Amino acid sequence: MKGTGEVPDPVADPIGEPLPDTLAEPLGEPLADPAGAPAGEPAAGVPRLVLDGVEKSFGPNRVLRGIDLSVSAHEVVCLIGPSGCGKSTILRCINLLERIDAGRIVFEGVDIAGPGVNANRVRRRMGIVFQAFNLFPHMTVLDNVTLGPRRAQHQSRREAEARAMELLERFGLADQAREYPDRLSGGQQQRAAIVRSLIGDPELLLLDEVTSALDPELVGEVLSVIRDLAHGGMTMVLATHEMGFARDVAGHIYFLHEGRVLESGPPEQLLRHPRQERTRQFLRRVIEAGRL
Amino acid sequence: MASGTDVHAPSGATGSGPPPIPTRLGRWRAELGHEGAKGAVIAFVSTVVFLGVAAALVLTSDSWPKVQRQFLDPESFRESWPEVAGGFWLDVRMFLVAEVLILVFALGVAVIRSLRGPAFFPLRVLAVVYIDLFRGIPLLLVILLLGFGVPALEIDGVPRDPVFWGVTALVLSYSAYTAEVYRAGIESVNESQRASALSLGLTQWQALRYAILPQAVRNVVPALLNGLVSLQKDVALVSVLGIREAVREAEIYTARTFNYTSFIAATVLFLLASIPVARFTDWYSRRDRARRSQAML
Repeated sequence: MKGTGEVPDPVADPIGEPLPDTLAEPLGEPLADPAGAPAGEPAAGVPRLVLDGVEKSFGPNRVLRGIDLSVSAHEVVCLIGPSGCGKSTILRCINLLERIDAGRIVFEGVDIAGPGVNANRVRRRMGIVFQAFNLFPHMTVLDNVTLGPRRAQHQSRREAEARAMELLERFGLADQAREYPDRLSGGQQQRAAIVRSLIGDPELLLLDEVTSALDPELVGEVLSVIRDLAHGGMTMVLATHEMGFARDVAGHIYFLHEGRVLESGPPEQLLRHPRQERTRQFLRRVIEAGRL
Repeated sequence: MASGTDVHAPSGATGSGPPPIPTRLGRWRAELGHEGAKGAVIAFVSTVVFLGVAAALVLTSDSWPKVQRQFLDPESFRESWPEVAGGFWLDVRMFLVAEVLILVFALGVAVIRSLRGPAFFPLRVLAVVYIDLFRGIPLLLVILLLGFGVPALEIDGVPRDPVFWGVTALVLSYSAYTAEVYRAGIESVNESQRASALSLGLTQWQALRYAILPQAVRNVVPALLNGLVSLQKDVALVSVLGIREAVREAEIYTARTFNYTSFIAATVLFLLASIPVARFTDWYSRRDRARRSQAML
């Protein structure tokens, strides 16, 4: 996966506008300091995404209590932590499916959580894949994949389907293109959902525990797709319980606990020599469950 | 269960034969064997006895011959039929127009009601007020108020045709209910479908249009069909405005001849129209249920 669309696409490239142009889109006011990474974060190159003090509550329940994190271009970042630590909420906030209460979410130099941001435009430049696939059950796989390009980007059916078939073929789903999702295995459904999120050539892919709803024997096929994407340079943020996988693909791992980043670091350091007692406890349980 | 090992099966009902063919008769037989044929016999006999006693009571009552003459006179049936059938054709047309308008208008109301964000607050309030109002007023009153009230205002350009106001009353009243049916359908679609549509860059409206509504409507088709059967009969209520539809024509015949058989003619017509729809509704719901449970596997 070439991922970011720098390579000219032979087929019509939906996001193929030149970079300065996309930045000129009224996403919001550019910040004075686009690379506003929190101090002490390992920012290799200009960060594609920065979360700065993000807070989110659902009623009295404070789910995120000041999240700082930074994702460079072509970097894979994994969020790990016990259930309810806020992993999924972070991803939903980045995709603007949830409005944050405080903090900044800086994507490509623009604070997308700020006022006057066109959420639809932002979402077109990101992809998100959900735990439960969330394919549209009343549409074929092909229609699922082409809905975004056709309706949000006003491509013709032919154009969108040509591109979709190309991607489906690459992910081994060409034969399932005309099937409805309920005829597919869980692994196939999740791969179809990944294709759907990739069709707009996103600059950032968010993956929310994409293997948690799968039967164990189907997890591998989905993980290998993600691994390929990582090797292809796709910028990704994954919430995951697959520690072994996180160790293999992540450039940086954040351990979350009760809505805070408790510690973060490269996989080797964080998974082998965690500094925090909570991290050690969590990893011990994961190892006992045979997931690492 | 109809295998040869079933010792509880009544004698004669089974044998050690080939596996049962899943016909309706076979299913009944299997169920009878399960619940006990004795119970079925008791149910059947008691039903026949009850109906027999009821029929006997009616047929042997002193006034039966009189009732028979007044309500079931073949000659009057034949005589009143053309007018009543002609009126029924008007019922059918009013029904068809009203049903189309209801399905469209109610969907609009339901969509407005499920829009999010503070910008749509006034529209949402309007939808809620409308629904509460028209679900609270008896249909007959809506028909009377609109049918007699609005033309009495004598405003230029406002139609005075009772058929227009009768159909309008039906549409307003039924749409309030139907909007709630649609809304139930919209709410039955999981929130994650909306999130998923929005994440593709679709607008709120596009998410509703392409992702939510197709699923929502499919979920409530049986309920919508049920409302259709109900409307088919309630069209007759507009007869209070003097519209010469089937019931009105039957009344006119009765007033002229003092014979009520014309009402039977109208009854027959309404039944002929509604029973097929009711059967279709049942068939569709069953098929839909079967398809869903299959999809779950």
